[in-house]
Amino acid sequence: MFKKKRFLIGGIIILLALGYLGYTSFAGAATYYYKVNEVLAKGSSVIGSNLRVEGHVPLDSVVRESAGRLIKFPITDNTSGQSIPVVYQGVVPDTFKAGNDVVVEGVLGSDGTFLAQTIMTKCPSKYEPVTQ
Amino acid sequence: MAELGYIALLLALLASVYSVFAFIFGKRGSSPALLSSARNGMLVVCGLVSVSVLALAYSLITHDFQVEYVASYTSSDMSFPFLISALWAGNDGSLLFWAWLLAVFGAVVTLQKRDAGRELLPYASTVILLTEIFFLILLLFVANPFVRLNFTPSEGQGLNPLLQNPGMLFHPPSLLSGYVAFTIPFAFAVSALLTRRLGDEWIVAVRRWTLAAWLFLGLGNLIGAWWAYVELGWGGYWAWDPVENASLMPWLVGTAFLHSIMMQRRRGILKVWNMVLIILTFSLSIFGTFLTRSGILSSVHAFADTTMGPFFLVFIGIILFGSLGLLYYRSDWLKSEAEMESVVSRESTFLINNLLLVGAAFAIFLGTVFPVISEAVRGVKITVGAPWFNQVNGPIFLAIILLAGLCSLIGWRRASVSNLMRNFLWPMVAALILALVIFIFGARQPYALLAFFLCAFVLFTILYEWFRGTKARHNIRSENYLKAFFGLIGANRPRYGGYIVHIGIVLIAIGVIGSSFYNVEKEVTLKPGESVSIASYTLTFESRDTFQTQSKTVDSATLTVASGGRLLGKITPSKFLQNNYDQAVTEVAIRSSLIEDLYIILIGWDEGDTATSFKVIVNPLVAWMWVGGVILLMGGLISMWPQQQRLPAQNNEEAKESARKVGDRKSQQKGRSNQRGAVSSGRSSSGARR
Repeated sequence: MFKKKRFLIGGIIILLALGYLGYTSFAGAATYYYKVNEVLAKGSSVIGSNLRVEGHVPLDSVVRESAGRLIKFPITDNTSGQSIPVVYQGVVPDTFKAGNDVVVEGVLGSDGTFLAQTIMTKCPSKYEPVTQ
Repeated sequence: MAELGYIALLLALLASVYSVFAFIFGKRGSSPALLSSARNGMLVVCGLVSVSVLALAYSLITHDFQVEYVASYTSSDMSFPFLISALWAGNDGSLLFWAWLLAVFGAVVTLQKRDAGRELLPYASTVILLTEIFFLILLLFVANPFVRLNFTPSEGQGLNPLLQNPGMLFHPPSLLSGYVAFTIPFAFAVSALLTRRLGDEWIVAVRRWTLAAWLFLGLGNLIGAWWAYVELGWGGYWAWDPVENASLMPWLVGTAFLHSIMMQRRRGILKVWNMVLIILTFSLSIFGTFLTRSGILSSVHAFADTTMGPFFLVFIGIILFGSLGLLYYRSDWLKSEAEMESVVSRESTFLINNLLLVGAAFAIFLGTVFPVISEAVRGVKITVGAPWFNQVNGPIFLAIILLAGLCSLIGWRRASVSNLMRNFLWPMVAALILALVIFIFGARQPYALLAFFLCAFVLFTILYEWFRGTKARHNIRSENYLKAFFGLIGANRPRYGGYIVHIGIVLIAIGVIGSSFYNVEKEVTLKPGESVSIASYTLTFESRDTFQTQSKTVDSATLTVASGGRLLGKITPSKFLQNNYDQAVTEVAIRSSLIEDLYIILIGWDEGDTATSFKVIVNPLVAWMWVGGVILLMGGLISMWPQQQRLPAQNNEEAKESARKVGDRKSQQKGRSNQRGAVSSGRSSSGARR
């Protein structure tokens, strides 16, 4: 069907361009995804780089300040109980609640506090009985 | 009642298995009686699964909380529409809904009056039924929605208030219909491979199904974006969340398929590619269904981690390897009938469009499963976020839009470059002028300017083409311009429906570009009486009040909106806490116009203090996304609208000829060093629908 070589060459060029696009965008956007104890185990090597951390928010541990624009909470590991303090500025998703699992994305500071830019939750209470 | 639902599913499974055998043996033994029985079997399956769905719906409506599913997703105070929507709110129910849609579509396929594809029906129905069997097995043994608790709760847990929004009524059914509807073209494709009826027959037989599936999936995605925008309230509409991606990928590949089957019908090329595309589309649809319930990828959509993952993966494996293997066996029958003659041709634009669409889908796929791959390869999960997807897909989608403009003015087979330049002159000039105007009005971002220019170019090429067509018709038929215009559309519904769809896409693109590049946001804490200004607006916080309704406690803040000194109105973002659900819901307030949306989120406050925090966003041009969606729907419907046309030659004979020649050639291979290329049968495109 493709008698002329230029079709093949054109197609390869497009594919290479796409590959290049994907590769160059990757450097800035790749984010490591760790559990809490993994982050603590890595220690200072992950300070300053963009991370996602998965963990648990203990009950009654969320502190809200600045008329709701700042929240602080520890994110704890489900197995080992270790925790990292998290500070988040911005709109808190409605589904965020103490007592549930959460994933935060942001940067670990040199003082050990995690500065979160994004909070991600699942729709938790669908599958557990509402504790009244 | 719930037991009835379960038994109905069991009977449906038996009927499906019977029908599969009846179809296969009926077809092979050419037994009309057996085939007729098999077709009835399909209708019986539809009836039984419908009974099952009705049973679940009945349990939901009558608040039968002893059924675990009903207790998990509903409560006594829910209104009727949301009780019905609970059918697809949970994992098990949505699987039942999937099975029901497939059974209904299968029944429609069986009953459809059919000019093309009668011989394909038995095996196509078999494929549909085999898919149905997969879902029935899941429902009966792994994800039973009719499980009863051993006690009766006095009240159900209710639907998460975030889901109690009109979006819930339309987004899942539309998406699911899209996924399910792609089973039909896939089934006919496999049937064509099995029966070696590899001309255009299978494509003609499923054209409307393909369009409908594509429409449902596309609109489902758009409704989801709208819902996220107005309800989830972070100011955006698409987050490249794994489950969002899972429904975008089949749509992209489906779009490529829609276009390339046109090429097969006109020029007899890309036959193998079309098969690959529909196999991919269907596999991605099942993959999308799987992703929501596997727990493999963290997502706001993901249902709880369930044991269904392996089942789905095995099923997808069977589909992929089975159909691709069959395709390989039949590849001799799928030789092209013509050549690609020129780089400057409509075929060329379609080809590039296909490459780009599949490329985008592949990029999205890679980005979505990257955490799984990196964990398997390097032991550490690496995720790619929204920036990556935006940077990669932005240029791709822009290029696709450009092609949509170019394709309407380039002829088939070969177009002369000078002719091209003449056709593009006016739209190009008009688009440049518009871009200049936007530039003068303050838009400076080069990427956005380029994007707007391309969108304007495409719009103008389509309008120019319409104008020329209308004028020609006016001249030939002496109709007035208005009558000529509608007559033109009416006489060429697929073509003009397609143009209208392109216009819709461009409008959506304009909305995306405006809101991505020119949005402004501010976070602020205000005491009553204080103001904040953003873009051209000044917002003054008046007061925050709390009041109770029958089912919830509402905290509502009132702000006045002014622009250029003129008072525009009030706006009230709020939060509410439902009495029976332990989660607050933020209701954003949006003041929408065609130019921009003023979007306000009530963030919070300290107890006992009147100072209140807000996030204020101005999103330009977002309304065009929803307008574009409506136009897209209109275009799709016009394209599907039946129109009297002669049925084109089936070309099964030509495919048979090709295969015979390839067979001859292969048996003479020893002693020959030259191979001739594809057989050219000179399919004519002149006089066909232009």
